[in-house]
Amino acid sequence: MNIKILDSWLREYVKTKATPEKIGELLSLSSVSVERIEKFGNDFTYDIEVTTNRPDLMSVIGIARETTTVLKQNGIEAEFLPPKLTQLQTPKKDLIKIENDPKLVNRLCAAVMEVEIGDSPKEIKDRLESSGTRSLNNLIDVTNYVMKTIGHPTHVFDFDRLNTQVLTIREAKKGEIIKTLDEKTYTLNGGEIVAVNDKDEIIDLLGIMGLKNSVVTEKTKRILFFINNNEPNKIRKASMSLGIRTEAAVVNEKNLDRELAFDALLYGIQLYKQIAKGEVISDIIDIYPNKLREKNIEVSLEKINKIIGAEIDPEKALESLSALGFKATIGNGKIKVKVPSFRIGDVEIEEDVIEEIARIYGYQNLPSVLPIQTQIIPHQFANEFYFENKIKQAMKYWGFTETYTYSMVSEELLEGPLAEAVEIDNPLNEEFVYMRKTLVPSLLKVVSDNKSDETIKIFEIANIYNKRPNSLPEEILSFAGVIKKEKISFYEAKGIIEQLCFDSGIKKLSFRQSEKAGNGASIYINKDYLGEIEILDTHLIDFELNFALLLKNASIKKEYKPLGKFPPIVEDLSITVDTNIKTEELITCIQSQSALITDVTLKDSYRDSRTFHIYYKDPEKNLTNEDVSKIREKIITSLQKQFKASVR
Amino acid sequence: MEEDLIGIKNTALSFILEAEDLDNLEETKLQFLGRSGKLTLALKEITKIPVEKRKEFGLLANEVKQTIEDAIENQKSKLKTQKLGRVVEKIDVTNPGIKPSLGHLHLVTQAIEEITSIFEKISFEKLRYPEVEWDWYAFEALNFPDNHPARDDWETFFIKGGVDPKKGPMLLTPHTSSGQIREMERKQKPPIRMLNIAKCYRRQSDVSHSPMFHQFEGLVIDKNIAITHLKGTLDYFVKSWFGEKRESRIRPYHFQFTEPSFEVDVSCGVCLGKGCKLCKAGWLEMGGAGMVHPNVLRAGGIDPNKYTGFAFGWGVERVLMMREGLKIDDLRILYSNNLEFLQQF
Repeated sequence: MNIKILDSWLREYVKTKATPEKIGELLSLSSVSVERIEKFGNDFTYDIEVTTNRPDLMSVIGIARETTTVLKQNGIEAEFLPPKLTQLQTPKKDLIKIENDPKLVNRLCAAVMEVEIGDSPKEIKDRLESSGTRSLNNLIDVTNYVMKTIGHPTHVFDFDRLNTQVLTIREAKKGEIIKTLDEKTYTLNGGEIVAVNDKDEIIDLLGIMGLKNSVVTEKTKRILFFINNNEPNKIRKASMSLGIRTEAAVVNEKNLDRELAFDALLYGIQLYKQIAKGEVISDIIDIYPNKLREKNIEVSLEKINKIIGAEIDPEKALESLSALGFKATIGNGKIKVKVPSFRIGDVEIEEDVIEEIARIYGYQNLPSVLPIQTQIIPHQFANEFYFENKIKQAMKYWGFTETYTYSMVSEELLEGPLAEAVEIDNPLNEEFVYMRKTLVPSLLKVVSDNKSDETIKIFEIANIYNKRPNSLPEEILSFAGVIKKEKISFYEAKGIIEQLCFDSGIKKLSFRQSEKAGNGASIYINKDYLGEIEILDTHLIDFELNFALLLKNASIKKEYKPLGKFPPIVEDLSITVDTNIKTEELITCIQSQSALITDVTLKDSYRDSRTFHIYYKDPEKNLTNEDVSKIREKIITSLQKQFKASVR
Repeated sequence: MEEDLIGIKNTALSFILEAEDLDNLEETKLQFLGRSGKLTLALKEITKIPVEKRKEFGLLANEVKQTIEDAIENQKSKLKTQKLGRVVEKIDVTNPGIKPSLGHLHLVTQAIEEITSIFEKISFEKLRYPEVEWDWYAFEALNFPDNHPARDDWETFFIKGGVDPKKGPMLLTPHTSSGQIREMERKQKPPIRMLNIAKCYRRQSDVSHSPMFHQFEGLVIDKNIAITHLKGTLDYFVKSWFGEKRESRIRPYHFQFTEPSFEVDVSCGVCLGKGCKLCKAGWLEMGGAGMVHPNVLRAGGIDPNKYTGFAFGWGVERVLMMREGLKIDDLRILYSNNLEFLQQF
């Protein structure tokens, strides 16, 4: 959340000669991020990002306190000038009774005033407008001005329009209808904090926005000035579900300081007196059921230095803490602090106190050191990431483009029964509903999304998700590719997988006629199912592998085979054989005929003829033609016997 | 006799210079230096010379032989260049080359590889954890209060039907920080130096947010780990990733799972910290970091009185855009898988 404040407004509470640039720079380094400093007439506005744990800094006073602290730490003179708020003498007159529900509202402060509606003075208008709030009239402007100055939202009702003896705080019921002051109608979901009059009509949506039926008008003579410190979760829930994100709602849903509520009341009354001829005509109401408990924290100097990593001067630390509003003392090697009310929601443990000391000391003043390794931890370089990277590189140099498609898919892209899919309960849209169980449909969508490309080679490595009962889904790294090309060959896809496995040290890779419907192959490492090559069309082939299984079998283990002393004899053997007989069976048969056959590959195939390239080698001696012809005879006989093959 | 030698030399040189091709030159060589070549024969005449003059004759003969050999070598290389030149003349060096196939790795993969390499050099161990997680790892153990906005239906994706009695609802992890508790459980005892680079999911989709994105998370836990170590690690990364001229700084910030928490800035690459239109007063925000919250250490089974640690988690896409100055107007183009886009990198 951001707050914009004028430099002159800030300087009402900080006395210093520091320039706006210096203030911006030092706040950014040690406190809040000043994102921009812009010129505004003869003045400047600071645009400041405030983190959600620091609602106290959504105010000029809060920023002024931090500014003073960081300036002083950096040797620049500065003095914090908090507003002087005087307690009031008020008539003992009971004009309205408020029935609170302490489960909904922590503290309620209110007063009835006689006022004169009109324009605000230029200074207040400028300060509000430059902070992004429209100036409406003095009665409304005071509520916004108090919120920006003190840091607690406030509200104003037309007291006569409320027309009630009792104002009751309760939870809204489902279906109740309200009209906000910007003339929009909302049906409540139930659970919102509302105020009702004695006819049980809702006259306020607490902490979020005022309502049309109770807002001040040009005719307003008497007001009920009203400050409510609410249960923050109720505000967030109501604001988000109704979609009303006012500045008040954003602040009210944080843990706001309850002590500030009364300051806001006093400051508001003071302003109404100054700019709206205001006069308090009732008792001051202050219902405070949920008082804050005091919080004290002790932290040792040793721990402070250990976590910061440098020697911190304890006196300096004490100074910083005091300037930030902590009551800090030192003794027995420990710093003891009492947390100020406006930091109770945020400062809880020793580390929180250390943070305060360290940031005011200045992170920029700390050295940069690399942590040393205190134990020998071997680097597992040939891990799964090593092979993943290697395979990705290979795919790249073989002409493939890597895609990153979404893990979540539509019903259309999901394969398999819906009930077996991991389903998102609150999807953003129907494109992203299920966690995918296979990558190929996503890749095929990429192919169809890129229609104009005639040749496409893409791949992706990503998780797929398998539902398991009473447990997280099984996430399996999957590797898929698609080739779109005129007259694409099955062997092109197969070759890629063979080479990848070979390069990853995987042996015992086998391809079988696909066990699934359709054309293609099922692939195995030993007996484990690795994946599938699918021929979708004459120009479209895909494959998907269980990459986790591939990684499990990958290895960088090296083997040495002694170099041959004697040259091999190489020859081709062409046979005619039934086309239904698999090449692998023929190769196995040939190889089993002699230990001297060191390698057999298919060189060529055409219709029913196949040519094999055969290596004969004897580690002990030079082979003669006679030796080879004996083996060849054996091969031919076996092929004839087993497969009815004939030599061409 | 000496005149004869000079005559042979001159004749040989003129033949050599006139040789039009290598065959021609080889012939000339044989004619003079071959077994029955002119110079060879002339040298055999040495026996006819008086003994006292033989030395002088020998010297001259050697010089002549050397000169002829040198001239042959020169002419040979000249002819070879000429021959190749005739072939080369047919080449148009501006025609396109015959290229081996070359695809493209996704920008995010490229970034992940580089980030991994930077952190592995300072002993971070890269690991993988679930993307579909229990609330315990993503929020509860990371010290998020029950009512924290990140646990709302409108910020995080929840999985239908998945609730564990102890670990809460099943969800898609919105940050790599869920790996922190996983790593503490796996290691059980520090030292820990984890690098987790993974897909994350948030219920947001606009020009600067994709519902799926990537983060890289570092976690270091050991005895005596201090803010100064976090600063050192950040400086090392920033200078490795963005270049030595770039600076980093940490500023106060707020996160549930770290205390103190920081926002990390990098000096602007355009103005180098002076301040310009593209940055905030010389700095660009990179992401969050902090000292591991004692409640988080406790949740991971580590005694916060013995050990301290730091953690950081940044967007892969973000640091990539920041470094390359890529003017991508919609982050989601990274995951649109438009090939025209992917094949640019």
